[in-house]
Order: sequence, then structure tokens, then C-alpha cells
Amino acid sequence: MAATMNFEDVRDKLRKWREDKVRNSVETADLGEYLLANYRRKLGDEVWPLYEQVSIAALDCGRLSLARLCIHAVRQQFPHSSRSKRLHGMLEEAEGEFDKARETYNDILKDDPANGLVMKRLIAIHKGQNDIPGAIKELNKYIENFMSDSEAWMELAELYIQEQHYSKAAFCFEELILSNPHHHLYHQRYAEIMYTQGGPENLEIARKYFAQAVKLNSNNMRALYGMFLSASHLAASSKATIKKKTENTKYASWAAAQIAHKYKQAEPQVEVVGEMLDKLAITSGN
Amino acid sequence: MAELLLDTNIRLWVVLPIVFITFFVGIIRHYVSLLLSSQKKVDLQKVSDGQVLLRSKMLRENGHYLPKKSFQMRKHFFNDEDSGFFKTQKREAAMQNPMADPSMLTEMMKGNLTNILPMIVIGGWINWTFSGFVITKVPFPLTLRFKPMLQRGVELASLDASWVSSASWYFLNVFGLRSVYSLILGENNAADQTRLMQQQMAQPMAMAPDPSKAFKAEWEALEIVDHKWKLEKVEDELICQTPYQEDVYVKNKYQ
Repeated sequence: MAATMNFEDVRDKLRKWREDKVRNSVETADLGEYLLANYRRKLGDEVWPLYEQVSIAALDCGRLSLARLCIHAVRQQFPHSSRSKRLHGMLEEAEGEFDKARETYNDILKDDPANGLVMKRLIAIHKGQNDIPGAIKELNKYIENFMSDSEAWMELAELYIQEQHYSKAAFCFEELILSNPHHHLYHQRYAEIMYTQGGPENLEIARKYFAQAVKLNSNNMRALYGMFLSASHLAASSKATIKKKTENTKYASWAAAQIAHKYKQAEPQVEVVGEMLDKLAITSGN
Repeated sequence: MAELLLDTNIRLWVVLPIVFITFFVGIIRHYVSLLLSSQKKVDLQKVSDGQVLLRSKMLRENGHYLPKKSFQMRKHFFNDEDSGFFKTQKREAAMQNPMADPSMLTEMMKGNLTNILPMIVIGGWINWTFSGFVITKVPFPLTLRFKPMLQRGVELASLDASWVSSASWYFLNVFGLRSVYSLILGENNAADQTRLMQQQMAQPMAMAPDPSKAFKAEWEALEIVDHKWKLEKVEDELICQTPYQEDVYVKNKYQ
């Protein structure tokens, strides 16, 4: 493979990935290794960011020897930089030396207490040790300082879902919706959490947000199913008023029609879907 | 008008020296400022203040997408009279006087040292040493308006406007070498004086905002926002938006 590759093409590809923050770890590690092995001179100063990129990719794939090589080179060049220290900490993490890594990170934070990336690594250590409550605690501390970091909110939501703290996870997704209200997946995920929590009020909210997700992206099948399920559930509920019942029936049948229509477009076997929807309605009605 | 003939010594001893001097002064400035520059420490408090303001702004702008309860909860967190974030968090008014903060003072001095000082010294020196020369001619005719720009230091009313004087040649170099610097030193180098001037002009805008004032302003802005749920009728809008395929599925099946 290496013989056919053009130096400039590979370099530009990796540069683009680096700038766009695309991870693509397996390929990055392969291409980067090839570049570093053959064209280190030609790269000039760009070799250092490339080393960083490749070492992170190598850590992702568990290619520790490659990572060790890159990180060693970076550390020799920049022994006092917080970025190279962080890479070293990540290597220690990958080797399972969590305590050492934690020491490294705390060392960096002593010099530069506003280094968000390092704080995130500390949280990752908790996660790596499968200490989810600890990670949640650390992440909450982090979010207190970096309140509009939507990635952190997303991570916190995932952690809460793992721990089944659904209302807290819902709070996190509300933050994400605030940060980007035109992203259909945020609405869909929020609705899913609400649906999981259950109860007529939450179901109604879930139905609305599923609907919003469908409105933002009419091809979001999951949201369509969600809307169908929450609406048919509400329609079947014994406590619902007549007005609500008819409303929800309308929404459920609309969603069902949409689903069936989508299937008809993709595949002609509509009857199968119809039966499946019937079954879903029955189970959700219970 | 009689054609002017310039001494070739002028080219050797005036034109080229000015180019070299301005160029190398730029290079030296770049490295000196690299030596003197100190890494800016980011203050955690300031970062988090900025993030709080950002989050509150997002709440104001996009809060309509949240259920009422969630919106009120967040508004309460920021704006409650007794326990609201903007009410309880007190920040000291930051930097009333730059003289009070010694680190600011050294920063300013370093800036002056590497930027203003060489400009005055070199500019003055060039003016003093090489003044009074007509050193080159631009190869196209110009109107009289260009005379003060191109013939600084040579006040001859009858001289054609396309001749360039030494002092003007220096300024042309100062402003014209920017792309050469970025070629040699890479982007964002410190050699360029024009960039510095832009910075200085932009400075009053980028004054460090006073967090307590910003909090108060944000509190006011958030206080007047009322919650109006955008998703109140989302299903009906959705249904209106997409035509209803009644033939595909029978209505009132799920009751």
C-alpha cells in the first residue's frame, strides 16, 4: 500500500482530518506511521502536530508501541509543554497506570488551572476505572466552570443514563437543546428519555419532542416510531379525556401513516409494517 | 521637463540599505518579541464567568424550545432574588487602573519596547541619515495628490509626482514587507508593524469586561424574557406541513 501513496496526498489528508477534528483512528495511525517513517524531514514543523495526532490515534487503536514512540519524540522536543505532558498522561492511562496518570494531570493543572482538556482526562480516568459515580462527580465539577461545553453535557447525559438517573439526563439534554435547538437528534434523544421515564405528563412531552424531531428531519424514523408509540400509548390510557383521546389518536395514525408511507417508498411490502404497527400499539397500550 | 538622472551610488547606498534595514529590523523584532513574550495565563474564574454568560444568553435565545418547567428552573437558577447566580455571585471590579496590576504594566512595556520604540528610533534614524534623496521613480505618471505620500522630505514643487523620496521609500517598505515576512517567518509573526497598529486601534473595544456589570446586564436581559413554548402546537403544525396519506392507513384504527 505504501508504495502507491503520494506524500502530499497523505499529508493533506491528515492535515484536513486534524483541522476538522476527525478521529478516524485506524487509518490515521497507519498513514501517520507511514509519513513519520519515510518523510520526517520533509514535513518540517508540521511533524509535531502530526506526532500528536498519530499518538492519539495509536492510543485509540491500542497500538502502544507506536504511541510510545511518538510521545517520546514529542516529549524530547517539548519537555515542559502541557500538551506533551498530557500525551504522556494518556499513555500512562492506556498502560493502565491510572494513579500515575492522575498525578501527571494534577501536575499540569497546578500550573494551568484552566486547562479544560486535562480536566476531561481526569474524568476519563474515572470512566476508565468503571467508576461511573466518580466520573459524574468530577464532570459536575467541570461543568460548574465550563457551563456551555455541550460535549461535556452530552457525556454527562450518557453517564446519567448508564446510572438510570433519567431526570438528570433529561436536564443535560435540555442544555444540549438550548445550545443547538435545530439539531433533530437532541430533540429525539430528549424525547426518548422522557418516554423512558413514563407517566402521562412525560409521555406528552415526549410526543411533542418526537414531533419536533420529525419536523426538523422528516426522515428520522426513530422519532416517527417514538411519536407513534407515545401517542398511541396516551390514546389508550384509561384516564385520558375524550378530547385528548381523539387528539392522540390523530397523531398516532398520522405517524403510522408516515411510517407506512416511508416503508412503501423503500420497499413494497407494506402489509408487514401494518401488522407490526398493530402489535406495537397493542403492547404499548397495555 | 528635463529628465532626471540619478547617481548609481544612490541605488547602492540608499535604496538597498533601506530595504535591508527595514527587513532585518522586522526579523529582529520577531525574535525579540518571541523572547520577551510570556505565556498568557488563563484565569479559571474568567473562563467560567464567560461560560455562564454564554449559557444564560443561550437560555434567553433558545429557551422557547424547553418545557415551561425546565425554563423556569433555569431562570430561577440565574435570576432568583435570594439565591440566583447573578445575584449572589459578586466579582470585584476588574482592573480599574492598568497601573495597579504590575503584570499588565510589564506587558505594556514589552509591547512598547518591541514595537513603538524601534519604529521611532529606526524611522528617525532613517529620516536623519537618508533624508533629501530622490531615489527611485514609479513607472507610471501620478497626480499631484501623491506628492506628500511619495515625496516626504523632498519639498520640490516642480518635481514630477512619480519620483519617490527616501523617507517615503522607508514607509513603503514598512507596509509592503508584510507578505515577505509571512513567507519567511510563517503566519502570525510579530515582525509586521501594520498588524500592531490595527491591534492598537482595536484595543479599546477589547477592554476586559467587568464581570459584575456584565452579570447585571445579563440579569436584566434574562428577567424580561418570558417563556413561550415553541412546541405548543408542534404536532398540528407537523401534520399540516406533511400531507396526510389517508389511503395508506385507515384513520381511527388506534382507539
